[in-house]
Amino acid sequence: MRVVIAEDDALLREGLALVLRAEGVDVVASAADPDGLLAAVSAHRPDVAVVDVRMPPTHTDEGIRAAVAARRAQPGLAVLVLSAYVEESFATDLLVDGSRGVGYLLKERVGRVSEFVTALRRVAEGGTAIDPEVVSQLFARRRSADRLAGLTPREREVLSAMAEGLGNTAIAARFFITDNSVHKHIRSIFAKLGLSPDGESDRRVAAVLRYLDAT
Amino acid sequence: MSPPRSRSGAVATVFRRALTAAGRLFLGLVTGMLALVTAAATLAVTASCLIGVGWFLVRPWLRVIRAVADLERRRLARFGEPVPSPYGPLPTGIAEGFHDPSIRRDLVWLVSHGVAGSLVCLIGFQFPVNAVREATAPLWWTLLPPEEAGALNGLVQITSWREAFIVAATSPVWLALWLVVSPRIADFQARWGRRMLRPHPGVDLSARVSQLTASRAAALDAHAAELRRIERALHDGAQNRLVAVAMLTGAARQVVRRDPEQADPILERVQDAAEQALAELRTVVRSILPPVLENRGLAGALSALGADCAVPCTVTVDVTVRCAAGVESTAYFVVAEALTNVSRHSGANESAVTVRRTGDVLRIEVRDDGRGGAAAGDGSGLTGIVRRVEAHDGTARIDSPVGGPTLVEVELPCG
Repeated sequence: MRVVIAEDDALLREGLALVLRAEGVDVVASAADPDGLLAAVSAHRPDVAVVDVRMPPTHTDEGIRAAVAARRAQPGLAVLVLSAYVEESFATDLLVDGSRGVGYLLKERVGRVSEFVTALRRVAEGGTAIDPEVVSQLFARRRSADRLAGLTPREREVLSAMAEGLGNTAIAARFFITDNSVHKHIRSIFAKLGLSPDGESDRRVAAVLRYLDAT
Repeated sequence: MSPPRSRSGAVATVFRRALTAAGRLFLGLVTGMLALVTAAATLAVTASCLIGVGWFLVRPWLRVIRAVADLERRRLARFGEPVPSPYGPLPTGIAEGFHDPSIRRDLVWLVSHGVAGSLVCLIGFQFPVNAVREATAPLWWTLLPPEEAGALNGLVQITSWREAFIVAATSPVWLALWLVVSPRIADFQARWGRRMLRPHPGVDLSARVSQLTASRAAALDAHAAELRRIERALHDGAQNRLVAVAMLTGAARQVVRRDPEQADPILERVQDAAEQALAELRTVVRSILPPVLENRGLAGALSALGADCAVPCTVTVDVTVRCAAGVESTAYFVVAEALTNVSRHSGANESAVTVRRTGDVLRIEVRDDGRGGAAAGDGSGLTGIVRRVEAHDGTARIDSPVGGPTLVEVELPCG
């Protein structure tokens, strides 16, 4: 797995590279600003770009815009965006062009190295990784939305796990239930939300997020 | 005024009014003479503008005119309703000055009060003076040289006892004029003065409203900018350092299982990052409300700033009563920013900070003998000064001709 890092804080940039290299990830280049990222992407054609949201010059959402631009320049490039705080609008901006190979995590998740690297690999392989914090923010905002109110607590847990990008097996493992019951819950969730069931994990996340965003 | 209950009460009221009127008219005469002198000097300042030097005097001179007018406002307020002061900050340009109605009205008042006002007050004050003087003529006419001993302002000479007593006999006429006419004259003069000195009904009030609106908007802007600054400082500083702590701790845990030796340098970086986070938090806290201000007051805090300045700096603080915390921290910020500019850009050999509280105004001056040319531009520290000062409804002036010297002058209301 070949990775490009874009992060303006030198300490974090090096720390990230250190962590990833120690896990056997091939960090091919690192950049300190959006232009550097775009240059590194076109030069190295990596599998995945790890991008900080706030970068020069304005330190607002340059990272998101650079990530979107990089994906347009190199279709199929997976992007994992790191942010010091969660902002659901960033997540929806990222998902505008589809959710294949998109991740959005809080920066401190990097400290949980094995989970972080798992999420990174999932994104690089075309999956999705959305921070539980983002998901719960979305849920908190939509909690009053009546359609979600029809879900059982377990179904809601399963929906959050889906939104994070977990596959059925991972969901089953997290809640100590069988794959079969996960299937049952998901079918029930889709029925209650009026979505047609679909097997692909990223499309499930997109459907969930799109549903949450649209209502 | 409630009707007096008895005849003696009515008489007492008449005398009290007459006595007050004498005082009012005397003080009116004083401010009238002052206005006359000021009006004459205003002509001189205007004339000196023709040869150039006068332009430097215009602003200080406008302050003098305002002070004279305010004195008259205080006199009027002493004997009646308060007269609100119409002044905004002094205009900065000539065109603005021409359009400032308060300046026009002040000048008209200056001339009218100096000439007509003085005359009216003089006449009104003449009655009590004459009443007393004529009544006492028999007592003093022999003591004066013959050509000095006169009545009716010297129009009639007193040459004999008989004439002295005739003069004394005219005293009740003056007394009557004093009792009846003087209060009316005083009232008339006061009505007139009030009309000229109160804020112009439409224009001045709207100017004040727009000034308050602007200062309120500036306060909100400065507040938002301040929050943004704090957010940015926390995010780019402490938060990133703590993220690094989390990240590097993860890396260290990863490594320690395989090779404990390798974990040590990583842990050292973790420690560095944690220490940096603490240092940055301290900086942010200090920028919000400097603890030194809390502990040692404005004088101590500013002395510390002066001592830290790269350019030798004399700090004089003459503030006996502490100001509101917001005002003090703004004053501290102003001096800190100004001294940072002095050390970074001025090339000065020495600098001086003077802070003085006069009544409800805190005046701050920071001067240096450097190369000048400082201006409030985008993102400069001086812009920050202007913003923060305006948020407190204060005024900031930066006088920095190319070649120096530089003077930053700030006035903050601290009532």
